[in-house]
Amino acid sequence: MFGMFRITNPLSGGLLWKIPWKLSTPQKLRQRRRLRAVDNVVATVDAALAKQGETLKALERWKEEMPTEAEMLPKDKYTMFDRKAKRYRKGIHRLPKWTRVSQRLNPPGY
Amino acid sequence: MSAYFRITLHRSAIGLPKRTNGVLMGLGLRKRNQVVFHPVEPQFAGMIMKVKELVRVEAVDKPLTKAELRAERRPDPGFYVERPRAAAQSGLALAMATARAGGQLAGEGEGEEEVRL
Repeated sequence: MFGMFRITNPLSGGLLWKIPWKLSTPQKLRQRRRLRAVDNVVATVDAALAKQGETLKALERWKEEMPTEAEMLPKDKYTMFDRKAKRYRKGIHRLPKWTRVSQRLNPPGY
Repeated sequence: MSAYFRITLHRSAIGLPKRTNGVLMGLGLRKRNQVVFHPVEPQFAGMIMKVKELVRVEAVDKPLTKAELRAERRPDPGFYVERPRAAAQSGLALAMATARAGGQLAGEGEGEEEVRL
């Protein structure tokens, strides 16, 4: 009953999803704020460099490739592509360190 | 005109790749809410781009000293001490005040010492 062989849901062979399937509304709000914070950093760096007449390859590439928070679809803000998931999408909160990494692009068509 | 990035570490890099931590070390950011200043140059901009999810950045004209940063963090004490004008200012100002005393009767009220909480 106790110790290593206690009856718990995972040990009984039951399916236990500890990670919620989708983000809650406040989680989505914070995710949008984080996306906007990154957009702000990029915009600040870009404006400061432009004032000095400098350019940066990484910055140009980011601006060209990455959509801003306002341009992103809700689908891309809160979910990401997963080839093993049903309908090829999983919640973005399943990405390790998801609050501190940028994950904005997904394969076209998915 | 020289410009600087004011960089604040907002999110910790615990558990992130070693390179991310290395970039933060390169910027001189060791703990959260620490502020560093670096000139606006492509190499520093590139380092900021590497850790853009972790920092807050502003462009400022000149870096603040350690004392100024400390003063920025100090909370508002909630009161201020008013000093008598004669004690606060030099004898020259006192002489000017006495010379104009006829028309400045209304202004004399400010000179009283008062502690407001």
